[in-house]
Amino acid sequence: MELTVVQQDALIELLNIGFGRAAASLSQLTGHRVLLEVPSVTIHAVGDVAVSLEAVIQHDVASVHQIFSGPVAGDALLLLDQSGASMLKELLTNEPALPLAFDASAREVITEVGNILLNACLGTFGNILHVQVTFSVPRLSLESVGAILESLRVHRESVRYALVIHAGFKLRDAEVRGYLVIVLSVASLDRLLREVEGWERNNR
Amino acid sequence: MNETEPRPDVFLATAARLWFEDMADRGIVVTDDALVIRAWNAWLVVHTGIAAVAAIGRPLFAVCPDIPARGLDVHYRRALDGEVRVLAHRFHRFLIPVIRSAVSGAAHEMLQTARIAPLSVDGRIVGTITIVEDVTERVVSERELRSQILVAERARAIAEDASQLKDDFLATLSHEIRTPLNAVMGWSRILRNKVDVKSRDHALDVIERNAAAQLRLVEDLLDMARVISGKLRLDVKAVDIRPLVQAAVDVVEPSAAAKHITIDISAGPDRRVVNADPDRLQQAIWNVMSNAVKFTPNGGRIDVRVTTKNRIVEVKVTDSGQGISPEFMPYLFDRFRQADGSPSRRHGGLGLGLALARQIMELHGGSISARSEGPDKGSEFCVRLPEADLLGQVALSPRSSANASTLVGIAVLLVDDSDDSREMLGIALQAYGADVTAVASTETSMEMLLGGNMPDVIVSDIGMPGSDGYELIRRVRALPLPATQLPAIAVTAYADAEHRLEALGAGYQMHMPKPVDPAIVAEAIKTLVTAARSAPKS
Repeated sequence: MELTVVQQDALIELLNIGFGRAAASLSQLTGHRVLLEVPSVTIHAVGDVAVSLEAVIQHDVASVHQIFSGPVAGDALLLLDQSGASMLKELLTNEPALPLAFDASAREVITEVGNILLNACLGTFGNILHVQVTFSVPRLSLESVGAILESLRVHRESVRYALVIHAGFKLRDAEVRGYLVIVLSVASLDRLLREVEGWERNNR
Repeated sequence: MNETEPRPDVFLATAARLWFEDMADRGIVVTDDALVIRAWNAWLVVHTGIAAVAAIGRPLFAVCPDIPARGLDVHYRRALDGEVRVLAHRFHRFLIPVIRSAVSGAAHEMLQTARIAPLSVDGRIVGTITIVEDVTERVVSERELRSQILVAERARAIAEDASQLKDDFLATLSHEIRTPLNAVMGWSRILRNKVDVKSRDHALDVIERNAAAQLRLVEDLLDMARVISGKLRLDVKAVDIRPLVQAAVDVVEPSAAAKHITIDISAGPDRRVVNADPDRLQQAIWNVMSNAVKFTPNGGRIDVRVTTKNRIVEVKVTDSGQGISPEFMPYLFDRFRQADGSPSRRHGGLGLGLALARQIMELHGGSISARSEGPDKGSEFCVRLPEADLLGQVALSPRSSANASTLVGIAVLLVDDSDDSREMLGIALQAYGADVTAVASTETSMEMLLGGNMPDVIVSDIGMPGSDGYELIRRVRALPLPATQLPAIAVTAYADAEHRLEALGAGYQMHMPKPVDPAIVAEAIKTLVTAARSAPKS
């Protein structure tokens, strides 16, 4: 399954609107100008996500995981490699980070950043689908990419797909790259993509 | 199943209620979809002082007006739209204001992280739940940990720097040791093959010069090792610093001449007496001098000034060399430290000279300091020592130049109860031309002096039966002029510093430990008598 050019462009445009709002919240929180960019969106079978992400993130990652439920249900994750997470925390709080395992304050900051981003992303999808989704409390974990994605596969029988959204945080002359992974059932994904195409037609 | 046994969810509901009301270690507030408070747990009652009956049934923002005042109400509106919100203390500090009293008694605001989530029943949002956690202690311990890590990292950086310095030093050391060896071995081989006189003399010159350089290097190293292990012992006596400065200058003179560097010494006509180990003091001054020569370019100039200010004797060495950069200044007197440690550096040496000079000066109770206006502006080194308290002391040059006519025309009164000692020194001093009167006791000496038989100098033993050498000199100093100014030397087996000070305090100008070298005694007599004769009679 692959995204068409039209679908990809429309998704990027939609996500950039949502992330614009998230960036504004982050700027307000931190007192620094924060920019969020979505350079690309790809789609993978859940089983293939680890392989494609392990090419860009070698070490353990900090992941913020929220489960969403409602007419459209699935998992939403923000993945940052640990140095990226520490750097983001330092940039946002102006204070040196310890290794994340020892720094609960840094984990909280990353959790809130992930919460804001995932809410923005899923809120955008909810709006376009005209459905209300509810969220679980975000959980932060420090694991390898493989272990995190493996946990998404267990106990789910239906074939699921993942939208992988590359996101770049730009603040204070630095850039931190992160990845949003939105895991959906085939039915949910189909519905989302149809709505996205409709939005695209109505806005052209 | 027993009819009376409660259903499992009753257990759960009871447990949840107990936890909520009594056991939860965080604040829990539940509202309906109009944000009116429906539940307010015991933790909140304890920490906010607001009773559950006073909170329940009232709007959340009326009970906690701080939430809308700080713009945090948006999170509740989002929760009613189905979003979960987490609020990190780092961004928001707290959600519900609580003033804590710490053990120290100081009141401060509780730091909190909070979660705000929608409550939904059958897919419909009916309210919110907020959980507030006190993270104050955790934040304090994280801050502590962070600062400890910083301290540890700083310490590690310093240790790594020191270890790097040692590595650099070893590299420099092996280079500095090889360089003279290379010349020695090379010229030795040439000697083996060539036999003509001219090249043989040159070869021997080179070998000797390089061997001497090697020796200097090894001595510096050994001295530094002694300083580090606290084994460098000083043999302190009262010395005139001027000849030591001259001797140090003499050592560097050939290398200065090779670079056409002019060295100008001004030390004044007066003795500048300090308590010092003359060899070590000369070594310190020599190190400063050789540093000046090393860093002064061809045709440069070095001024050496010896002055006394406020009872401090100061040797100031000013050069027109490359100066010292402000960055290097704090490390100037550190061991192994060189401004340019690179392999391509222009100057040789181990980087020990100034460190040794500083250690030596500090062991003497003196100091060394440097000043420079910056690169290419020259530098100024200043060695300082307190002036010796005991007046009338005289310096000895380390090597004697006494000969058969040194003591001609000088009358010596030699006092020693030991026949062998008296005889040995008497004969020796006569050999230098002295007119020696040798007696065995203080009594005999005093009789002679009181009889008007006045020598030019007294040389006396200290440990004598009856009236000892201290007694003798006290009685001499109590006589009318000119005996009060009669030069006197104590020659004694009591060699330690304490006895030396006692002898000087009793009235001797000089103290020489046995066994003595008669040549040195002769030289000392000559110096003292010459000084006494040229001194104005008061």
